[in-house]
Parts: sequence; C-alpha cells; structure tokens
Amino acid sequence: MKYGLFLGCNMPTIRPDAERGIRLTLEKLGVDLVEVQGYACCPGYGTFPASDEVASLAVSGRNLAIAEAAGVDIAVQCGSCYSVMRHANHSFHNEEKLKKTNALLQLDDKQYSGHVKVKHLIDLLYNEIGTEKISNSIEHNLEGIKAVVQYPCHTLWPEDVMGFDDARNPHKLGDLGRALGADVPSYSREFQCCGGAGGFAARNKPQAVQFAKRKFDAMVDEVQPDVVVVSCITCLMWMNNVQMEFGEDWSPIPVLDYNQLLALCMGFDPKEVISVADTPKVPVDLRFKLAEKITKAAVA
Amino acid sequence: MIDLTEANTNLVKEIFGDDLDKIGDIRKCYNCATCISGCPAAEGDPPLLIRRLVRKVLLGLEDDLLDDETPWSCVSCNCCEEMCPMGVHPFEVGLAIRRWQCSQDETYLPPSLPEVWEIGHTQSVHKQGTLRASLGLADAPPSVCVTPGAIAGFRKMLKETDVIRDNSYMFKEEEE
Ligand code: SF4
Ligand code: SF4
Repeated sequence: MKYGLFLGCNMPTIRPDAERGIRLTLEKLGVDLVEVQGYACCPGYGTFPASDEVASLAVSGRNLAIAEAAGVDIAVQCGSCYSVMRHANHSFHNEEKLKKTNALLQLDDKQYSGHVKVKHLIDLLYNEIGTEKISNSIEHNLEGIKAVVQYPCHTLWPEDVMGFDDARNPHKLGDLGRALGADVPSYSREFQCCGGAGGFAARNKPQAVQFAKRKFDAMVDEVQPDVVVVSCITCLMWMNNVQMEFGEDWSPIPVLDYNQLLALCMGFDPKEVISVADTPKVPVDLRFKLAEKITKAAVA
Repeated sequence: MIDLTEANTNLVKEIFGDDLDKIGDIRKCYNCATCISGCPAAEGDPPLLIRRLVRKVLLGLEDDLLDDETPWSCVSCNCCEEMCPMGVHPFEVGLAIRRWQCSQDETYLPPSLPEVWEIGHTQSVHKQGTLRASLGLADAPPSVCVTPGAIAGFRKMLKETDVIRDNSYMFKEEEE
C-alpha cells in the first residue's frame, strides 16, 4: 500500500509531533509513504479559492499532478487540505476547467488527468487498513481511558464530494478509538465542528471561544473524557489552544491526533510524537501524564 | 427602506457567471435559514448569514454587498452545503462573493497570497529545522520552497492568472 503523504502548511511547521506520529504509525502498519516532492499549499480556502478560482485550481492541480507523476494517491490529515483538493478534483469533472488548468500546469512542465484520489487518514485507517489490523499492532491498550472524538467537519460535508463515512451520523473515528480499547461515548455536541478554521476565530474571537466552550462544557458535563481525539490539524491546534481562553477554573483536557494516540499505543517515544506546544500556555505535561498511564497498560 | 433605483440588475451574473453547477440556482433560495442553523460563523458579530447575502445579490445591492465583510468569517465547514434543501450551494455562494469583492477592491485580497507566492505556503515550513530534527523528522517537508528550481515553475504558472497579473505590485520576483 503506497500513498503520497500531503502535509499542508500547518502541521510540518506548527505541530511536527503530529507529523512524526502519522509517519511512524502508518509505516508500522505497512503503508509505504512517498513524499509529494515540490508540493505547495493546497491552497487554503482563505487564499486563492477566495480570490481567483482559476489560480486555485492550478495550485491544487499542481499538487495532484505531482502525486500522479509519482504514481500515488494522496493521504492527508488536514481537513482543509482534504476539502480543497476534493473540491478541486470534483471541479475537474468539468472538461473546460481541467483543460484550463492543464494549460497553466504546462508552464510548470506538469499535467494532470483528474484521477488521483485524495484520501483522508480516517478513511485510509478504517477502510483500507482496518480496525482489526490496528488492534493487532499495539503494545498498550486504552482500557479504562475515556475518549471523545472530534469528526473533522471538512471530511463530512458535502457528502457527495467528501463522503467516506455517514455524513449525518459518522462513526469511523469512534470505531478507530474503540479499536485501541478506549471507551468512546457519544455526547450531545459530538458533531458540532470545532469552529477553529478560516476567518471565524480570527475575526470573532470571543464568539469562537464561546462556541467551543459550549462543546467542551457538554463533553465534561456528560462524559468527562480523559482525552479528545481529533484527526485534523485545525481541530488539533484550536481545541488545544482555545481551552487556555476558558478561564482559571477550567481543567484542560489533553487533545491528541488519532495517530499520536496510536503511536503511544504502539510504544513510540512520547517525546517524538506528543511533545510540541504551539503556544507556551498549553500544558503539555497533561499529555505526558496520559502517555504514562497508557504505557503502563499492556495489551490485555 | 431599500432603494432599488441604484440596484445592479446584472449582479448575479457578475458574481457567479454561468457556473450553476457550482453555485446552484440561487433564485430558488427561499430564505429558510437551514444553512444558518449549523453555521458557526452565524454566531459571529456581525453574523454571517448566507440567506441575507443571497438576498443582496438577487436585489442587486452592489454597494452594500461590497462593504459586507461577513463572508470572510466562514470556517468552510461545508455544513450549509450538506443541508440546503433547495440545491443552492451556500458555501460556494460566500466564496464567490469573496472572489468578486477581491476583483472590485484590492484591499480584500488575502494577505496570505504574497506568502504563498513567495514560499508556496501560508507558514514558514522551511524554518523549523531544529524542532523537526529533534523529533526525528527531516529539516523541512518536501515543499516547493526547498525543492531546487521548483518555486520558479510555480510562479511561472501563477503569473498567468488574473489575480497575480492584476496585482503584480504585490508579487515580487526576487533573485533565487
Ligand atoms: S438553506 Fe438554501 S434555501 Fe435555505 S436560506 Fe440557505 S441557501 Fe436559501
Ligand atoms: S461553510 Fe461557512 S457559511 Fe457554510 S455553514 Fe460552514 S461556516 Fe457557515
């Protein structure tokens, strides 16, 4: 199984520990990760998609063309990258748009057929690798650990372009958590998006903090999780950092990318896979305490 | 009171062109607000209300729409795309309005564009070598900005797009 790992802009710069976790775990699961050599921004919705559609399709098409030339489909964690490139592929069903894009790509000695698949890591883990193989790959399980999962909104909607899970009632990330032995209870605001992407948090900080707080309040009131499990770089950064805005009384809950959690279960070094704080305020020691608890548990 | 004598009756076409596949038929929008019920940015101040933007477009309220910054608070979750019962694509409506605003008023151009032009990214992916190495990763991801010769081809392609050509003063070509 061979995939081009598309890293985007945020993860390799701000949370490379998540990148490390993804690389180590996928390789251990037998995925051959190929570099998308020369890739650029997906491009993020706030850049070319919001200013020039032709340029946007050219930049997406260029990334996809690189993967095509390398003979691989793309695997991606970032929800925005996933959504932007899936939408681009959808636009390329329109012959005119594909032709126009290829005219631009030619200037960079590239071409694109429209056929590279863009796969989110949840899709890859659940549908290609499978929960059984994942369960068999771990050294420590999460028995006694309560996790809530955050479904990345960009991977759910619109279902006809993005879908690999049930868009109205997704379960795959939850099942992946259960494959590690965790208890993954539902709660009322489980499917509410994190609110961290795009201009909302940047332009309406107090409202975005309130929006997230309602979600966190619901999870604490209803299920009291030990960890929040995400699979999107924006969810990872925002759900970590926004908790620092909740005031003194708030007891922060560690937030981990699914592959970071999987890496801990596989026995990889926590210093490599969970150690980076993108703001100094985030209490990374909470993550290490969780890691200690996990690594004490052997597979039952 | 809305003064329609100043309305731009061609606004729908100016903003969306003929791309009905992408935008849907916005005349079918009946203001039900389903697109707003799951929208985080609808809780902003001022709120992003796609149905209101659709009204402004249909009524041709050009000046009002040009001053309206709410489309820029969208988180691009696409929840509205999933939910609209009338086949309108509310997210794409907001995105197209942003593109139209950029074409009318360059102060709308995202400040991230020159960054993407310069290094291919919205973040300095090539400047975290020490941190990345400490985790066992390569100094930089396999980016266009660290692949020899790649940024030149990337820019050659972009130079032929409207947004770069029309605003060339923002996109400098320094020596590599
Ligand atoms: S959900 Fe669709 S029909 Fe309803 S207000 Fe929004 S765009 Fe209009
Ligand atoms: S895509 Fe934008 S407009 Fe639509 S629901 Fe999400 S934030 Fe609101």
